[in-house]
Amino acid sequence: MISTHFSKLQLRGLNRLGDVVIPGDHDFPSFSSLKLDDHVDRILDHMNDDDRSGLKIVMSLFAFLPKFFIFFILWITEKAEGESFLASQLRLVNTGLKGVIFTLYYSNLNSKSEIIHQVMEWDANINDYPDEGDEMQQYTDEALSGESQKYFDTIMDAHKIREISRNAEPKLRSLSIDSRLRYISRLKEVILNKREMIIDRIQADNGKSRTDALVSEIFGVLDHLAWLEKYAAKALADEKVPTPVSLLGKSSKIYYEPMGTVLIISPWNYPFYQAIVPITASFVAGNAVIYKPSEVTPLTGLIEELLQAADFQPSWVQVAYGEGKMGADLIDQRPDKIFFTGSVATGKKIMAQASQYLIPVELELGGKDPSIVFEDANLERAVRGVLWGALTCTGQSCTSVEQVYVHESIYDKFKKMLLGEVSKIRQGTDSNGEGEIGRMTAHSQTKIVAEHLQDALDKGASLLFGDSWDRETDLIPPLVLENLQKNMLMVQEETFGPIVPLQKFSSEQELIDELNESKYGLSASIWSADKQRCDRVSRALKTGNVSINNVMLTEGNHNLPFGGVKDSGIGRYKGVHGLRAFCHSKSVLIDGNSSKCEVNWFPYTEKKYKSFDKMMVSLFSGGIGNFVKFALTGVGLESYSDKIAKK
Amino acid sequence: MRTEIKNHFFDVIIIGSGVSGSVMAYELGKKGLNCLMLEAGEFFSRSNFPKKEIDGNSKLYWSGGAEFNQTANLALLRPKVVGGGSIVNQALLDRFDQNAWDDFKRNSGVNFFDQDKMSEWYQKAEQGVNQEVIPAEFRNKNAQIFADGFKANGFECAPLNRAQKNCRYSEGNDCIECLSGCKIDSKQSMLITYIKESLKQGLKLLSKFEVDQIEDKGDKVLVHGRHYKSQRKSFSCRKLVLAAGAIGNSKLLQNSNWKLPAIGHHFYTHPQFMVLGEFKEDILAHKGPFQAMKSADAGFRKKGFKLENVFAPPVGLSMLFKGFGHEHMQLMKRIKKMACIEVAVRDTQPGKISFKKGKLKIIKTLNEEDKKRRNAGIEAIEKIFSSQGAVAIHQGNLPIGLHLMGGCRIGQDDRNSVVNPEFQLHNSKNIFVADSSIFPSAPGINPSLTIMALSKKAAQGMVL
Repeated sequence: MISTHFSKLQLRGLNRLGDVVIPGDHDFPSFSSLKLDDHVDRILDHMNDDDRSGLKIVMSLFAFLPKFFIFFILWITEKAEGESFLASQLRLVNTGLKGVIFTLYYSNLNSKSEIIHQVMEWDANINDYPDEGDEMQQYTDEALSGESQKYFDTIMDAHKIREISRNAEPKLRSLSIDSRLRYISRLKEVILNKREMIIDRIQADNGKSRTDALVSEIFGVLDHLAWLEKYAAKALADEKVPTPVSLLGKSSKIYYEPMGTVLIISPWNYPFYQAIVPITASFVAGNAVIYKPSEVTPLTGLIEELLQAADFQPSWVQVAYGEGKMGADLIDQRPDKIFFTGSVATGKKIMAQASQYLIPVELELGGKDPSIVFEDANLERAVRGVLWGALTCTGQSCTSVEQVYVHESIYDKFKKMLLGEVSKIRQGTDSNGEGEIGRMTAHSQTKIVAEHLQDALDKGASLLFGDSWDRETDLIPPLVLENLQKNMLMVQEETFGPIVPLQKFSSEQELIDELNESKYGLSASIWSADKQRCDRVSRALKTGNVSINNVMLTEGNHNLPFGGVKDSGIGRYKGVHGLRAFCHSKSVLIDGNSSKCEVNWFPYTEKKYKSFDKMMVSLFSGGIGNFVKFALTGVGLESYSDKIAKK
Repeated sequence: MRTEIKNHFFDVIIIGSGVSGSVMAYELGKKGLNCLMLEAGEFFSRSNFPKKEIDGNSKLYWSGGAEFNQTANLALLRPKVVGGGSIVNQALLDRFDQNAWDDFKRNSGVNFFDQDKMSEWYQKAEQGVNQEVIPAEFRNKNAQIFADGFKANGFECAPLNRAQKNCRYSEGNDCIECLSGCKIDSKQSMLITYIKESLKQGLKLLSKFEVDQIEDKGDKVLVHGRHYKSQRKSFSCRKLVLAAGAIGNSKLLQNSNWKLPAIGHHFYTHPQFMVLGEFKEDILAHKGPFQAMKSADAGFRKKGFKLENVFAPPVGLSMLFKGFGHEHMQLMKRIKKMACIEVAVRDTQPGKISFKKGKLKIIKTLNEEDKKRRNAGIEAIEKIFSSQGAVAIHQGNLPIGLHLMGGCRIGQDDRNSVVNPEFQLHNSKNIFVADSSIFPSAPGINPSLTIMALSKKAAQGMVL
């Protein structure tokens, strides 16, 4: 017995009802003898939810009721006359029950039931001339929707989405920070429970290794949510700030208020992390969110499902699928803030479009992050750190190590150790955690890696590891190179692949000068035993984030803001700074409701001018004497102003 | 990417692919407009139309077969398939008489509701589909009883004019099989006529897309809905054509909070009551062109009903009878000995369609006049059967409504009508309606041809 709607029990009920309606005789077989319940979904699939639920209840009941009772119920429903509510309901039940049974019984659904039409001498037939073909067969539902997919997905109306978010804004604004955080706690629980399923979905869309997905995406997200639970309320609480003595008697505060609707446009490299982290930060700050995932890794339906399971209302966070056009359409709908993570080129386009409407933007763009290994570094640690930094997420992180500078005195040793380690790395989108680097997510990126590699080799670089790659497949092995030159694409541009380009350096200052010439400035890592040197270099580098004796780890602490300088982006997110980036800070100055008139208000007189000047000079000249002078002049000025104002 | 943007904004979106929607799509496409047709039902064609009655009911109609009025004594058959009613009907094409037009005019104040003024549009509509008269030699016994009974009682009847093209009766084809779509592409459904031609013209058709909300933004109209079970999607267009029928249009406008008081009112269905006459000998009413004759009696017309030479397949018949168990089985075994005639009432009691909180509520009852009309029809049927020697008469237990009309009636006054004489919603010049939902009253004549004619006229008048 097969039905996706009826349980075994309900199917039993159906057969029992069937035998009351059609008990069978010497010509007609009984209903249950024909095993027609296999076909009941052919009716149920097309029914209204309400009708189907009603039938389910009745069938469950019929599974147990004695047959004479079923007979009695049917008999009563047959007797319904007139148009009273009760009669109408009974008639509906009668038609519904008999309808299901008759439909199954008389539709000639299996070989056993052929006898029914034979007894009735029902032999209606049509010769359908299959040889003549069917011209219309080319237009199936699938073909029609496939054809329309082009204009279908991208046309999801940005206007409508914005309207929904606008309507949600007042509700979100009115939710207290504590209640917003309750949603965050529920979401954390949902993600924790569903982590395996989420990892499956991430791997399906993105292709990264299972451990990469677990560590960077799930752990990272949970850590962020836990940070919100702990720090967000404080970060967003009204802040009292000092009021200067010249404004004596008044107080000052900053309110961190929602901006309205935040548009988040995310890339494909961390499809889950880059969804949940900005979504929840914006939400906690009291904003409605429109989230546009990359069309390469949409995780279709996943974000909505998780948020729904955590009781978020659909209008609070809407997921807008589509390509670049969708993002552009959404910007035209004037969100109150745009948070974009992705390439420099797209970042520039977004900022240009946003400038038309003066929408504030936050741009987290690419990088060409260096790792600098000094001669006194613990080499074993530095080698492993550099390799992980270059290869995690198959080198497709904005903060991936893309240049490795090793001091010339230890270069050969470092190289040897690194080549020993790199050969142990296993590739593939594994299902059990036994694999280090997955496939490239987008084939277009694979092509860029191949181009950068060829360019480097053409210009004299040598490939120390990764020669096995055919330049086509998305499963790229780690590519270790040396003899790199400044004019190579691999040195100039973001490669976004599993590359480890090794370069020698001799002078710290020269290296810093060289690195600071780069158009990028996202993050850097420094490996050295000398704390002073580490501090010196970290300050000298024009970059957004520095990890000392570690790599990509500033992101591991959610108290630290994240962001780049130069072409690597604008603004900071995460940490208190990051949370407030989704707020408007509103300044409030509070004074008493007195009848007093302020000294700087009209009318102006020569006497007022002179006293004001005297007060200002004494206030900013310093010393106790001057302060006393300031106080006395101030008091005099105040009473004078009040007097002339009320004259 | 860039080249596709043009497609994102349609000149016209047509909701519903039935008779009106298809004709409009064709006419508008011919003008060079970029049209999108949205249909909630599935796409079938002759080689995959449902073959079993169970699937014919559940896959081609809303709510798995039938919907019921509030009092559950009228089954409303509302097609849900690409091609709409033209897929499941009997393709009867009749022009309205002057009486129907006068009635329309009186109830709407619309000037062109006139036999002469509509004649041009009827001609255009008739040109689009092939028509045949069922030849007398292929009439089955049911049709013969109909014809002979009419004659014996002095009633007028006539052979049926149907939109079909070579049903090849001589090869033993039984038209009753084509109630779930014509398997030999003879029936001139919209699918193989206007939709086929429109697709060639470049019409975009999306099946299994159920629209649930529309918005007129002045410079564009937004259409929101769901494609099968996927996410909600939206389309935008300059002009919108509502062609989802009486219930579909009323439901959609109400769900979109449209502010016109008459939406859903004045709903008519030509309630049909099937009566079976049992004979001693075999009738085999399901054979051949099972519907071949029609009543053409001026007296019937005056009294407000007409009789039809009809039959139904087994599940449909089983639902007609009262009772269950042994009594029911005995009746079903005697189907082969039964002839069938139905009375279709030209109903005068307006019904009301309302859609609140996701639930459809249809109030449709018979007033005394309607009952009188029904009874007069049944009386005539009894006379016909008796004159032909029927041994028993079984009155159907389940009236049906399948000419679903009104709900968005046309008229001059926005207090008691929804659509203006230019076929636009009174409060929205961007939205057009020309299907049976605009009928101001029940014409008492099959509506299909008139819907085509009105749609031709509406499409011609549409200016972007």
